[in-house]
Amino acid sequence: MTVQAAPFAGPEPRVRARTGQRLTVQLALVLGAIVLLLWTVFPFFWILLTSFKTPGDIVSVPPKVVFSPTVANYMALVIGEQHGQVAASRPDFPLFFLNSTIISLGSVLLSLAAGIPAAYALARFEFPFKNAIAFVLMSFRFVPFIAFVIPLYILYQKIGLYNTHGGLILAYQLITLPFTIWMLRSFFMEIPLEIQEAAKIDGCSWLGVLVRVVLPLSMPGLSVTMILGFMFCWNAFNYPLMLAGRKTFPVTVGAIQFISYEQVLWGQMAAATVVAALPQLVLSLMVQKYIVRGLTMGAVK
Amino acid sequence: MSTASLTVPARRNRRREKLLPWLLLSPALVLLAGMIYPFALGFYYSFTAYWLQYPKRFRFIWFDNYISIFDEPLFDRAFLFTLGFTAMAVVIQVGLGLAVALFLHARIPGRAVLRALMLTPLMIPPVITALMWKIMMASTTAGILNYLLSFLGLGPVNWLGSPDGAVASVLIIDTWGNLPFVSLILLGGLQALPVEPYEAAKVDGAGPYTTFRYVTLPLLMPFLVLVTLFRTMDSLRIFDVIYAITQGGPNDATTNLHIMAYQFAFQWFQMGKGMAQAIILLVMVVIASYLLMRLWNKASESTA
Repeated sequence: MTVQAAPFAGPEPRVRARTGQRLTVQLALVLGAIVLLLWTVFPFFWILLTSFKTPGDIVSVPPKVVFSPTVANYMALVIGEQHGQVAASRPDFPLFFLNSTIISLGSVLLSLAAGIPAAYALARFEFPFKNAIAFVLMSFRFVPFIAFVIPLYILYQKIGLYNTHGGLILAYQLITLPFTIWMLRSFFMEIPLEIQEAAKIDGCSWLGVLVRVVLPLSMPGLSVTMILGFMFCWNAFNYPLMLAGRKTFPVTVGAIQFISYEQVLWGQMAAATVVAALPQLVLSLMVQKYIVRGLTMGAVK
Repeated sequence: MSTASLTVPARRNRRREKLLPWLLLSPALVLLAGMIYPFALGFYYSFTAYWLQYPKRFRFIWFDNYISIFDEPLFDRAFLFTLGFTAMAVVIQVGLGLAVALFLHARIPGRAVLRALMLTPLMIPPVITALMWKIMMASTTAGILNYLLSFLGLGPVNWLGSPDGAVASVLIIDTWGNLPFVSLILLGGLQALPVEPYEAAKVDGAGPYTTFRYVTLPLLMPFLVLVTLFRTMDSLRIFDVIYAITQGGPNDATTNLHIMAYQFAFQWFQMGKGMAQAIILLVMVVIASYLLMRLWNKASESTA
């Protein structure tokens, strides 16, 4: 599943037109760019605005762009303060944020520990069932999550993993392990075989080759895999929705808690979405160039 | 003597070489077994009557779950919605994605910034995306989306309260989140196209449309099929967005097979039936992927 990319950049069509048409074409392009920009950025802008509004400003008709901002929504989210009073019970959102961090980090580290040697084996050695194993790993991508969640829910209730960080980290391996192995394999295969052979001749064992040659050379790939894996875990919603409880909810499930039967706390929900999306925005800037490769498990570079 | 002392370690070495990959794979294989086991267990459950509240009534019923699912009054609607939604989402997203990719491929102002910004909808949690839009679609009066539409002389649309509005909402939200994915892959494809066919087309005096139709499109086909494959798989199983904004409503208008499987298992606690539904969905995903992968093989052969 590798798309062969030509080694050189393709031609860039220059927009050619007669001088009379040129201005119209330029104008159309600028207009297109503005539309694309608004379509992408406006929702973020609006939610950020909403998160600083009072409940009254949020429902005002017509919608207000100029208003006196308040940090009440964030205060309610972080310390539980509402109308100048700190609520008796601590707010859950800081806990949800911590849960997201623990579960995502734990899942990535576990996947890395198991994935590095596995990816190395799949990249460098010939052995029976090699392709079958790689295929089975890939095939998890096809399964609707509910097919895992139903039996996991039953199992976890029985063996006490329900509503635990450990249980979620194990379930998240469905997200991170196949991804980690496929990504690392594609990065490891890019390291010239000659360098590895040379290290072997110099007396390195396979472990030496892996630790002293392959891993240092694939540091960028390793960090990209870690960051993307972390982001996929941070985005996860389905597994924790069924396998976590209030004690272990991540931010994704936490953010939806602002919708109840009686009312929707729009302002707090907006603040929660901002806080939940923020780490992703920062991280995605760091791995810009690799996001497509990550989302296709290395199929498109 | 000397030869024997050489061959024994050598043989041992070779055996070690054979075992080494398995040793390296073993931690991953253990985790893999931990993933396959629940799936196998679930597959078994799909042939059983399994009510979570009445574990004593658990029994093996062969294909009864699968048969009874087809008799569910909701099944036909959910099945059609799943297919219809997938078709609409894929056509809209691949079509618009191609347009955006061609647009970004041209030398437009601020291309690098646009490209970087487009990554953001892609990487924030889909559920958060859905909640963001839910706020914007909120009510028919105070929602910003209807307010903006009023300037175009449209609306107000009852986004989340009416069946058609809800379907449109899911489509819009899913498109907002995934259009960048399609565009960026196709843009990468465009940038990797060889120069020669374009020069040949120019020599032959082909206009921009002819060049696009007979040079760009065929060369881009493997990429188009690939994004169609990824988007089809994900659209067939879309869950987060629907769950966050409508939970399948109103009036079951946005209930797809995945939401239905969730309802079987976690609202009515019929685990066997939910699992059977999940397997039906899996089979659909596998068939669609298989067909698209064959198409992809054909497309990449013809361009290679």
